[in-house]
Amino acid sequence: MSMEQKQKILIVDDSELNRAILADMLDDEYEIIEAENGLQGVGLLQQRGAEISLVLLDIVMPQMDGFGVLDVMSQNQWIEDIPVIMISAETGSSHIERAYELGVTDFISRPFDALIVHRRVVNTIMLYAKQKRLANMVADQIYENEQRSSLLIDILSHIVEFRNGESGLHVLNVRTLTELMLNHLVQKTDRYQLSGSDISMICTASALHDIGKISIDEKILNKPGRFTDEEFAIMKTHSMAGAEMLENLPIHQDDPLVKVAYNICRWHHERWDGRGYPDGLHGDDIPISAQIVALADVYDALTSKRCYKDSFSHDKAVEMILAGQCGAFNPLLLDCLRELAPDLPTLMSDSNSVAQRDRREMQKVAQEMRRHEELTASERTLQLLEHERMKYSFFADMSKEIQFEFTVSPPMITLSNWGAEHLGLEEIIMDPYHHPEAQSIMEDADFQHLADALRSTSPELPVVTYDCKLNYKGAWRWTQIVARATWSSDEPPRYTGAIGKAIDIHDSRMKLNALERMASHDALTGLLNHAYAKKRILERIETRPTASYALVIFDLDHFKSANDTYGHSFGDQVLVHLAEKLRQCIRGGDIAARAGGDEFLIFLEYKDDIEVVISRIFQSLCGQFEQFPISISMGVALTATVPDGYDALFHAADAALYTVKRGGRGQYRFYNETMRETLSVISPIEDGEDPQEDA
Amino acid sequence: MTLQECYAAMGGNYDDALGRLRSERLVQKFVLKFLADGSYDLLCRSLEEKNYEEAFRAAHTIKGVCQNLSIDKLQASSSRLCESLRNGYSPEADALAEEVRTDYGQTVAAIEAFQKESAG
Repeated sequence: MSMEQKQKILIVDDSELNRAILADMLDDEYEIIEAENGLQGVGLLQQRGAEISLVLLDIVMPQMDGFGVLDVMSQNQWIEDIPVIMISAETGSSHIERAYELGVTDFISRPFDALIVHRRVVNTIMLYAKQKRLANMVADQIYENEQRSSLLIDILSHIVEFRNGESGLHVLNVRTLTELMLNHLVQKTDRYQLSGSDISMICTASALHDIGKISIDEKILNKPGRFTDEEFAIMKTHSMAGAEMLENLPIHQDDPLVKVAYNICRWHHERWDGRGYPDGLHGDDIPISAQIVALADVYDALTSKRCYKDSFSHDKAVEMILAGQCGAFNPLLLDCLRELAPDLPTLMSDSNSVAQRDRREMQKVAQEMRRHEELTASERTLQLLEHERMKYSFFADMSKEIQFEFTVSPPMITLSNWGAEHLGLEEIIMDPYHHPEAQSIMEDADFQHLADALRSTSPELPVVTYDCKLNYKGAWRWTQIVARATWSSDEPPRYTGAIGKAIDIHDSRMKLNALERMASHDALTGLLNHAYAKKRILERIETRPTASYALVIFDLDHFKSANDTYGHSFGDQVLVHLAEKLRQCIRGGDIAARAGGDEFLIFLEYKDDIEVVISRIFQSLCGQFEQFPISISMGVALTATVPDGYDALFHAADAALYTVKRGGRGQYRFYNETMRETLSVISPIEDGEDPQEDA
Repeated sequence: MTLQECYAAMGGNYDDALGRLRSERLVQKFVLKFLADGSYDLLCRSLEEKNYEEAFRAAHTIKGVCQNLSIDKLQASSSRLCESLRNGYSPEADALAEEVRTDYGQTVAAIEAFQKESAG
């Protein structure tokens, strides 16, 4: 720890005065961070984490009390790294007991002595720092040792392989199969009392099973044909020779790894039925390590090509072993092989890549370390984490996005610096469900929908995209929220929260709306265009198919002469004027559109006398625009008389309009059967059914 | 009025406070800060609103502050009130709250008198 950077102490107490007294005692040497209730304390711990060297914690507090804080700290395993000293006026022994049970390092009761508080804080921080340093040293050393010894073993076993002319993968294959078998075996039975570290040791030692072959003449070792009896006798000495080499090691004889390797070397050619060599051991007198390596050795020898034989397929090899053609094995191990057999080729090739093996090795070391309470995350990991955090916050700031993290327990939202500023919120929002400012950012319903959507994801499909409006300091803007739910690795997985970002899509959304409007409306009059009106009409009919509807088509009489006499821009003004009148004389639910040129369309629902309605609309549309008298011709078709869908209805109204045009204009007509044969004023927009075919 | 006299007037133990906080400067600093502490207001408000859980916490805080500053008299009465509210309302709480009001008044009066004189 550098001198200029003070260690940080978090004081969690609801009384400002009490915090001030404690801070005063400690702020010469330490940087003081204060929280006025448990929830805030937890928030700061979540945010600052390993930066905090010690927590001074009160018990009785609003929002979340001291015990609540300890619960969260132990749930997240923070309590293992951050010492807590509890300070309270509660002196009941049950309180003190409970505090110690929850993992506090020390308990100081009020009224406290400044000197004692100071001394205990200093001692605790020193103790933890020392422990952390020791833990790191041990962790680093373990890691280094593991690395070194497995490197040496790899070199050694490769020398042996090289001499044997084996594939180079033999040692690796034996090791992998040994590990798969062992892991399967311990799931089946606890007969052999194998711990995780036993398994890992057997796997490492398995690489040495053939070191005795160093003592065998290369001519015999690599002989292509069958061995003579004499040669076979020499060959058989390699197991004992390997064991003796290990036994005669000048040092490390008592190392457990060496002992396991000795067993494997000496007895990996024994047989379950007692007919193996060199000692003719029987059944479980043969150490389980040697039994398994023997089986793995045979399997790999069968499936590999050698100078004296071709390779067998996986299925054939398993079949031969199970049938007892390649030696006698422990029935329990044969069961394991039988059960593993279907997946074995995949498992072997998956785990054989060296990189993968190393990674598994690392994971094992990491797990082992985690099991030791005093071996916590090493300083190196913390540095990496700190680095990642710095990187993250830098990119978060640069990206000008609202990024957030939500945790279920404690309920809390953390916003990126830029995001918080942009929304006018704090970076940390505790208990967002009851936080008035956080609630004002988003509609309740949206908040609920988003929360439900995240909760109903799965670890496989955790991403949710949700569009809604957000309140940016008073301005509601369309925003897309993309979030990924986080799930614990427990079985079954628990929903623990979410991370995500909010993207302002307001402008593009507005542009889209405008485009949509442009595509659906007539530019001159602002009425719907025909295609869009048809869509709306079909929707209307579909929602309420039994209601009575009328389709009205009308056009301006003598419109061509208005254009010719007064010019086209006057013509346009007439159309705009008429559209405005049309808007005024229909009801909110009616659909009005410009069907093209000077033709307009109305679709309306009616209950009683439609004649009255049509007459009123007709009257109010007629009149005068400047010097031009507005006269219209109108055709009406009713779904009551033309029930065969929109196109038929349109044809009918069109036919009625044609009839009016032909009969002198300036009036309206309802469609009836006599108009069936009439021509059309407007050509249909799509090829609908031809009504004549129905006759 | 000296700080000792102030302690005497509010029924506190100056020597004890000095012994624990180690300097007269600190004792004085925090005693003056006592006036700004909001716990008493919170206590009165909570009792009025019959929010006894909040009242318990407020009484507890007053007790803790008084313990730190060795304001014994108010510490004793706030401690009794606190216990009477630990499991919600109890009939004796009303009388105990009255005691706390009296002691708090006495404490504040003493500190204010000391503040006026030491400022002047």
